[in-house]
Amino acid sequence: MGFWDTITDLVEAATPWATADAEAPAKDLPEETTADTTTKEEESTKAETETAATEEPAAEEEPAAEEEAEEEAEEEEEEEEEEEPVDPKEELEEECRNSKQCSPAKHHFDECVERVTSAESEGGAKEDCVEEFFHLAHCATQCAAPKLWSVLK
Amino acid sequence: MLARSCLRSTRAFAGLRNGAVHISKRAASSSSSGSAAESPLRLNIAAAAATTVAAGSIAWYYHLYGPTADASTPAEEGLHPTKYPWVHEQWFKSFDHQALRRGFQVYREVCASCHSLSRVPYRTLVGSVLTVDEAKALAEENEYDTEPNDQGDIEKRPGKLSDYLPAPYANDEAARFANNGALPPDLSLIVKARHGGCDYVFNLLTGYPDEPPAGAQVGEGLNFNPYFPGTGIAMARVLFDGVVEYEDGTPATTSQMAKDVTEFLNWAAEPEMDDRKRMGMKVLVVTSVLFAMSVWVKRYKWAWLKSRKIVYDPPKTNNIAPRR
Repeated sequence: MGFWDTITDLVEAATPWATADAEAPAKDLPEETTADTTTKEEESTKAETETAATEEPAAEEEPAAEEEAEEEAEEEEEEEEEEEPVDPKEELEEECRNSKQCSPAKHHFDECVERVTSAESEGGAKEDCVEEFFHLAHCATQCAAPKLWSVLK
Repeated sequence: MLARSCLRSTRAFAGLRNGAVHISKRAASSSSSGSAAESPLRLNIAAAAATTVAAGSIAWYYHLYGPTADASTPAEEGLHPTKYPWVHEQWFKSFDHQALRRGFQVYREVCASCHSLSRVPYRTLVGSVLTVDEAKALAEENEYDTEPNDQGDIEKRPGKLSDYLPAPYANDEAARFANNGALPPDLSLIVKARHGGCDYVFNLLTGYPDEPPAGAQVGEGLNFNPYFPGTGIAMARVLFDGVVEYEDGTPATTSQMAKDVTEFLNWAAEPEMDDRKRMGMKVLVVTSVLFAMSVWVKRYKWAWLKSRKIVYDPPKTNNIAPRR
């Protein structure tokens, strides 16, 4: 709100014909008038449609099959659109995990997973790969962080 | 220990000095031939012994006090959250209010089924997240207790803007009972209440791996999340791609939703942030101008004093008799 707005506000408040609204100015007035006109129009059009209604169903049947096919196609498209959002975080971090920057951490993690899984198959494993996982995750997220923020809104 | 090693080293130095004295003596007298052959050997032995003692004591000291002892494993500590370049955390940036709107939608549709937001009334949403009419409509969806009427009965009324967001559970015990013993924390101040703030919340929401790493112990009813201290968290992953459909058409990916809801939670914890930053800017500008003016006024007022020149003009020496 600028300086000039303050002055105009004060002037408007002082003028006797001004109205003060606590909320946004009402938009109902024009809508009501249009509603009135539309109801009249509807009444006039209803009569026409009633006459036409007898003719319409025959005409509608033919394109109905086509419309259904189109609707199905649209639904499929919509489903595809819904499936579309792929998390950029996963992709970026996967790239980072395989990059040269994180290769030592990934090497250690892979080696640990191999060792622990083989130990588990033979008997009880005495260690876990949480620490190696931490190092890898830290490296990958840190590498992906600025890239991710450039993609997200 | 350190003191002993210091003593040793001084003694070694003393030995060195004695040797030096011997050498100088020998050079001066050149008569005692017996001690001349022994002195370099003794000197070498003393130096070697002193060195080994000093090095050994340092090694022992390091062995005792050098390595740090951790009371907890990295898993118990939890993975430290990665820093993200949040725009709203910069000095001259405000919240992205489109993101707040999206984040509130995520909170309402996903988080609100378990987490309360008990310190946020509907009126604070007006203007920063929702419009007046939207907030009113949202408040009216819920029922609140009225004041007691003439007969002392408490009735229900639709919500108003002054009401607070409703909690999903009546009390903490009900919340624990519904969630297998785990209490979902209130999210009003969660960004301020956790180390790492926004980064922690974002990392926690997006950090669930597809499967826990090999050998990791995950308790019953718990899920593996590296960012949660102890790595076993009762909350399962809730944000999946496309869980929410944004009204502005933003693709609702997991990270997008997490980012939006984190920013919204930061707003819930610090609704005054935008005003605070603007106020801070005003304060800095005004005080710097006033400071510059005060410096100028001080220099102006002191100018006559600082720029004066004191000159000593000695009296003429004509009347005094010349010195010898």
